[in-house]
Amino acid sequence: MSVWTLTPPVRALVRKELREYRQHRMIVLTATILPIAFLVLPVLNLVFYQEGRSVGGVDVAVGQAMFCFFLCPVIIPATMAAFAVIGERDQGTLEPLLTLPLSDGDFLRGKLLAIVVPTVLASVGIYVVYMAFVVAAVHGEVRGPALDPVWPFGFALMTPLLATLSTLVAMAFSARAKDIRVAEHLSGLVLLPLMLPVMLLVTRTIPANVMTWTVFAAVVGACDFMLWRASLRAFDRERAIGA
Amino acid sequence: MLLWRRERADYETVSAPHPAIALMGASRLFGETVALQPLDLEIARGEIFGLLGPNGSGKTTTLRILATLIRPSGGGANVLGHDVVGEAMEVRRLIGVMPEKPSLYERLTIRDNLAFWADAHSVAEPGRAIDAALEFVGLGGRANERAGQLSKGWKQRVALARAIVHRPPVLLLDEPSSGLDPSAAAAMERMIRELVAQGATVLMNTHRLAEAERLCDRVAILRHGRMLEAGTPRQLRDRLLGGVVRVELAATPDQRLRFTVETTPGVAGVEWRQRAFLARLRDTRTDTPKLVARLVQGGAEVLAVEQAGDLEEAYLELMARTEEPWREKAAA
Repeated sequence: MSVWTLTPPVRALVRKELREYRQHRMIVLTATILPIAFLVLPVLNLVFYQEGRSVGGVDVAVGQAMFCFFLCPVIIPATMAAFAVIGERDQGTLEPLLTLPLSDGDFLRGKLLAIVVPTVLASVGIYVVYMAFVVAAVHGEVRGPALDPVWPFGFALMTPLLATLSTLVAMAFSARAKDIRVAEHLSGLVLLPLMLPVMLLVTRTIPANVMTWTVFAAVVGACDFMLWRASLRAFDRERAIGA
Repeated sequence: MLLWRRERADYETVSAPHPAIALMGASRLFGETVALQPLDLEIARGEIFGLLGPNGSGKTTTLRILATLIRPSGGGANVLGHDVVGEAMEVRRLIGVMPEKPSLYERLTIRDNLAFWADAHSVAEPGRAIDAALEFVGLGGRANERAGQLSKGWKQRVALARAIVHRPPVLLLDEPSSGLDPSAAAAMERMIRELVAQGATVLMNTHRLAEAERLCDRVAILRHGRMLEAGTPRQLRDRLLGGVVRVELAATPDQRLRFTVETTPGVAGVEWRQRAFLARLRDTRTDTPKLVARLVQGGAEVLAVEQAGDLEEAYLELMARTEEPWREKAAA
């Protein structure tokens, strides 16, 4: 069964998760303020860009903007995923939840989808707004590099993969940590080094083209797959309920 | 309100020869701690079975094994013929679980809580199933209230509604009336009785012995992970309190009547009071009618016949009897 297979119990879990996230102030704040910040910073960066006075030239300015967008699918899932298992355990709902006809795979799949889908939508949403802003308001000198097709290609390719990676890492910590903040911090520690290749690409230290994005996507995709398999193997119901 | 019939018929077709619940030497270790010693138990369909015992006696471990939350370390367990380890998904479809704490999604409405359960069980008409379950527990008009705003008693009702929304044939209830006031506990008792009348089988843990005595067809008393006694509340009283009945008469009995009582078959001993006596019977179920008949034939006017002692006394007696060996074992 594919990781994205939506059986009725998985759909039910996804719906429940999304309903719960909507009612959780911390998650609502994380899922709204962070994307807004990640949108405003790149826009301001480009608005105030001045040839000759801004450090690094237009490519660096566009790269900085893109880095914000690539951070979005990595950072947004951390809070939601940290809540995924610990949140259930804290409110005592994990035990009854695990008596539902959900396999371990269904359980992880539902939790994963409920985080990855809104993260990807939010990330793509702010990127679309950014692109619209670039087309409408940014002067020609910046517009060209900002609208370089390699960026939307890389972004479309990487966003779901990075969101999946971030979610799986944070959920792995959530299943073992006793506190949501600990799970968030530990997953942050693991995920930030993974942003190094993104940084090298957006700063053009490594040439950002279709080939490099594809190779990078293949590597992250492989990591996602291995982490998914490892999560499935490591998921232990008895440990999760603290038996 | 009819919640069960149709579902039950389906399950009976699938696994008619099997008892609702069967534990075959099921045991559980946590590290080196024995949480449950090999336990053999069969619970028939339509039965209310109570697990009694002090904290740490293995009641919740037994329920968790049947709910597929933990695996037995040894032996096995079946629900309607399905193995809790090898066919865990099938078992999960057949059970409704109510944990000791209501464990609701407090930020969600009552309806959303139940909708999740109904959808996860692929209930055909979830809206109707939710309404029926809420109506059953007396929460018909409150579906859109947040679960977190309810009192403990109402949360327990929501937890019961959640457990029955998919009309499971087997209900596992962990202390269903824990922390409830007497009227809420009575309502819970009534609802459990009604669910069983509609075809469900109930296995429940409880510390409320009076409730167990009123509600349960059979009970088992566990201690230190070992089943000490099992049977109907009456059998346990008979076994542990020696089958003593108290008979109240309208007048002080004369010598002839006393002789009649003492020589009645099944009467093992009599302790006389002024206008009453305590009779130790070999089997209260069969010997009580014989004794009453002899009294009436002897010209006595019988005002009341009652079991001396209740399940609580029987339980405490058993606890007292089994305390010393455990202490000795612990000391060793």
